[in-house]
Amino acid sequence: MRNGGSTLRKLTGVLGTLLALSLVAAACGGDDSSTSGGTAGTSAGTNGSSPTTEESGAVGTTVATTGEAAESISIVLGSEPTSLDPHLVDDGGERAVNNNIYETLLFRTADGVLEPGLAVALPTQVDELTWEFSLREGVTFHDGTPFDSAAVVASIERMVRLIGAETTDNAGYFSPLARAEAVDPMTVRVLTSAPDGLLPSRMNWLRIVSADAAASDDITDAPNGTGPYRFVSREVGVAIELERNDAYWGAEPDVDAITFGFVPEAGTRIAGVQSGAYDLMVNLSANDREAVPNAAQVAGIEHPILILNTVEGITADVKVRQALNLAVDKQAIVDAIYGGGATVDAGQVLSETILGFNDSLEAFPYDPDQAKQLLEEAGVAGQTIQIIGESGRWVNDGDLLEAVASYWTAAGLQVDLQILEFSEWLDVFFDTESQPDVLFVSTSLDLLDPDKAATSIHSMNGLASGNDDAELAAMIDEARSELDANRRDELYQQIMASANEKAYFVWLVNTADIYGLGDRVTWTPRIDGLLLVKEMSVSG
Amino acid sequence: MTAPDGYTAQHADEDEALHQEEALQGRPYELAVVQHGGLFRDLISDKLGIASFIFLVTLIAAAALAPWIAPESPTQGNLSNAFASPVWHGGTWRNPVGTDWQGYDLLSRLLYGARTSLIIGVLVVVLAGTFGVLIGLLAGYKGGRADRWLMGWVDVQISFPGLLLAMLLIALVGGSVLSVTIILAINGWMVYARMTRGVVLSVRERPFVEAAEMMGCRPRRVVFHHILPNLSTPLVTLAVLEFARIILAEAALSFLGLGIQYPTVSWGLDIARAGDHELFGNQWLIIYPGLLLSLTVLSVNLLSSWLRVAADPQEREKRFASRASGTVSGAAGGGGAGL
Amino acid sequence: MGRYIARRLVQGLVVILGVSIFVFVITRVVGDPVKFMLPLSASAEERDARREVLGLNDSIPIQFGRFAGDLAHLDLGESTYVRGEPALDVVFDYLPRTIQLVALGMLLAVVGSIPLGVLASRKPGGLVDRVLTTLSLIGLSMPQFFLGYILLIAFTVKLQWFESGPGPWRTHLVLPALCMALPAIGRLAIVVRSAMIDELNTQYVKVARAKGLSQRRILGVHALRNAGIPYVTLLGWEMIRALAGYSVVVESVFNWPGLGFMAKTAIQHQDFYLIQAIVLVVAVIVVLLNISIDIAYKALDPRVKLS
Repeated sequence: MRNGGSTLRKLTGVLGTLLALSLVAAACGGDDSSTSGGTAGTSAGTNGSSPTTEESGAVGTTVATTGEAAESISIVLGSEPTSLDPHLVDDGGERAVNNNIYETLLFRTADGVLEPGLAVALPTQVDELTWEFSLREGVTFHDGTPFDSAAVVASIERMVRLIGAETTDNAGYFSPLARAEAVDPMTVRVLTSAPDGLLPSRMNWLRIVSADAAASDDITDAPNGTGPYRFVSREVGVAIELERNDAYWGAEPDVDAITFGFVPEAGTRIAGVQSGAYDLMVNLSANDREAVPNAAQVAGIEHPILILNTVEGITADVKVRQALNLAVDKQAIVDAIYGGGATVDAGQVLSETILGFNDSLEAFPYDPDQAKQLLEEAGVAGQTIQIIGESGRWVNDGDLLEAVASYWTAAGLQVDLQILEFSEWLDVFFDTESQPDVLFVSTSLDLLDPDKAATSIHSMNGLASGNDDAELAAMIDEARSELDANRRDELYQQIMASANEKAYFVWLVNTADIYGLGDRVTWTPRIDGLLLVKEMSVSG
Repeated sequence: MTAPDGYTAQHADEDEALHQEEALQGRPYELAVVQHGGLFRDLISDKLGIASFIFLVTLIAAAALAPWIAPESPTQGNLSNAFASPVWHGGTWRNPVGTDWQGYDLLSRLLYGARTSLIIGVLVVVLAGTFGVLIGLLAGYKGGRADRWLMGWVDVQISFPGLLLAMLLIALVGGSVLSVTIILAINGWMVYARMTRGVVLSVRERPFVEAAEMMGCRPRRVVFHHILPNLSTPLVTLAVLEFARIILAEAALSFLGLGIQYPTVSWGLDIARAGDHELFGNQWLIIYPGLLLSLTVLSVNLLSSWLRVAADPQEREKRFASRASGTVSGAAGGGGAGL
Repeated sequence: MGRYIARRLVQGLVVILGVSIFVFVITRVVGDPVKFMLPLSASAEERDARREVLGLNDSIPIQFGRFAGDLAHLDLGESTYVRGEPALDVVFDYLPRTIQLVALGMLLAVVGSIPLGVLASRKPGGLVDRVLTTLSLIGLSMPQFFLGYILLIAFTVKLQWFESGPGPWRTHLVLPALCMALPAIGRLAIVVRSAMIDELNTQYVKVARAKGLSQRRILGVHALRNAGIPYVTLLGWEMIRALAGYSVVVESVFNWPGLGFMAKTAIQHQDFYLIQAIVLVVAVIVVLLNISIDIAYKALDPRVKLS
């Protein structure tokens, strides 16, 4: 008892120390967030000196009520950019942020039609391998450097160099590029290593950096483009702030400042839009459309599809492949799984607006009886069919596969659906030696062109092809090197028809991009999936 | 128990070590054991105990019989029958608890989920328990260098960040009942080794064992006749608590997407699926598997506290004494620690 | 004392080395970050070339030599997910937010558990006691992610009092911290309660009562200190578990961008370098916390010898 008091003191001391440690740490962290809050305030041109941290939504409201012109927008992405270097990574978060900072020689309209950008007109062809661009006058980078042919040449050569060094993930988009040369300060020639009908589309994808920046192999920390917004600050894991570039060459954007947030789970993004913390969210599930003030939908570029093994196994028989198509109620999948946020593919992996779309093709009807009959005719009723899939990479992919498995079971097959870890699925995907009966993949029409879909899953030489159709592969090679757009269109139509006739795939849907919008934002989403804030407007 | 380690400092001796293990399980929780008698009579008289017992027996039976009593296959969906209401909301008996967005029968999924949880729980406890007890016996019985090395191994491994490593391993090898079981067992054997060693050391110091050894009893005989009987009570108690912890661990891994995968059904996976899909919609799809999982763990914890008291004469006497004096002390399991 | 701490530090070093080697070997044998770096359409040649650039084509002993050499300079390589950033920098970008979460969670746990435990012990077996003890038991039987969803549905979706995701602590951190605290409150309150009961039944407290000492003084001075040792120990363990395990789950449910959240991402992308850095930093913190708990033990109870 005598030392009771001292023990108590010690206890309090120890407890205190443990807590104090935690609190110090917490306070340090707290400083971080209040600093960033302060920055947000400053960039929005509002009470930057205010010591209290306000969320960006609240900042916007304050602005609106005071009637100042300053308008900021808060956009929440599903993942943080893995780099802010415009040439290194291939990642949606990076594109969402950087396409407001950097620009390209050619732009696209919201419907996907190429139009002049940093170049004043579409390129002219000098010969099979050479394209000439005339550049826009009076454009400067955010640091004041003028935009000219040196920047374009340096950007292209940087990409070529990074591809050679194997450090960029974008080789797939730009490998045909050979080099570039400046004709005069406002004229550039781009050279390819082989005839390449896609070059204009590629020049819609290659962001132009300044000649100085191009010398470096990693420019994550110093974004410096010609775009309508300039980089302000970044708190890793939490937010990236941009502000309007007042020296922008184009029309003055309506929105003054942008905050990008990153939240992987859709539910949390939705809650943020509901509360006004975010004005715009990406990847809204169609089922949750009612949960946000406004939802905007546009056809996306993703086509989840099942690649059938036409060489061996149960799917080698065309009747079985047709049956597999007939057995699936695509419209029910669109309605139930995607809540209307998708459209049924018309028996091809392309959507209507894409070159090569064949409008004489139609989706296989949902006809379970005929499917059963075909399976019986083929003598495979009751047999096992293996599907290799994954879950979580694409919108509702796991749910889609489970629904397909249910339909095929109903049609009389034993379905062995394996939902693998993404890395295991990749192993199957990259394995060119053995091919499962059915491989799930989602094909994205990058560059709004059929080229990638054709070469990767239609051609027998493709990474994930299920057929050994030499004739089809030859057609695809021919289409690749064709420069004339009409002829390309024709060739791709034939390719689509041929694949459909032999039922090389089970065509499913084209998933839509759905955005959740708060009350303040007006915006029409773009077919290429870019989030160009200069096209958005914000009201009080 | 599941607590991380680092409490070797306060072990004045091995008996105290054992005592500390017990202390970790939390202090006694009130259980009204009315009178001595058979174990079963004891149980009957403990309302919470009997309720959890009945719940668990029903769950185990239902899980075992799932293939026969489940209305449908848990992975046979039907999009035209999505979101069917449960019976008490005007649904039909075809899907008594309703269906989810795939048209999966929810009752069937709950039953098959129970199966996965219980199978993994039992397998991990058996695997980790067997290995841990063997190591503990070896360390305690051999003593000396073997003891130091083995317990050093235990000390090191128990300080590993278990959940992180389990996630990493499953991400690398893929999630299945087998991989989750093995990885959780690798992660969980150390507590058994610790406890067994403590018991061995304390028993060996007792005069009758010393006498038996001096008289030339074979080590095997000593182990089987003297040590194992003393081990059974704390072992069963620990195993039950670990069972609760493993069920939670499996659910947590599956929830994170780094555990059980389709077509195997897991409550943790179903909660994650529903959480992604229906946070703003049919939230009962999150609530039902979550409630069932919580109830299962709660029942195991309640049962283990009852077991601790009922199977341990000392505890029983304490209980009796404290009841007499009007105070309470019973055992609240310390399970539920996740990983 | 000094020797004891030195020995524990050495033991801690063994743990840290053990974890590092374990993670190194299994990731190098089974994993491949390149799979996740390049787009799906990249060819096998491109992938192999990238592996070459990263040095992943070398034999494992050579890679290990390089790893050990770099580790001596505290260089854990560059993250492959957060492209080009030194892995340790990424860890220190995310760690403060996990510490914030754990600190607030533990603060709530302490603030909640002591009054609850004391309250329950005042009339053992009474209604308050039974309710509180049952609630504690329910709290510690509930999976944290489910508890998290319940909180999220109630306070974010329905009532809209709090938000989730990254943001200021008052609106965004309270719920995850509560989710972290509730099970801990259950476990800690039980310790307080039993220690109090034991203490209130001892002879000297009865004497103190008879002498007319106030209830408050008896509770505060005599009884609470009895609970100190197990309480501080358990609190230390709660911190360790919160940092090294629960944070992954809680941060995933609430999208709180802390280290646990990053750990899940790094594991999903097989970012060896980042995983290695996370596990290393977590292991160091756990070792230090463990030693602190032992020292706290010693400080609280002079009878304990640190052997």
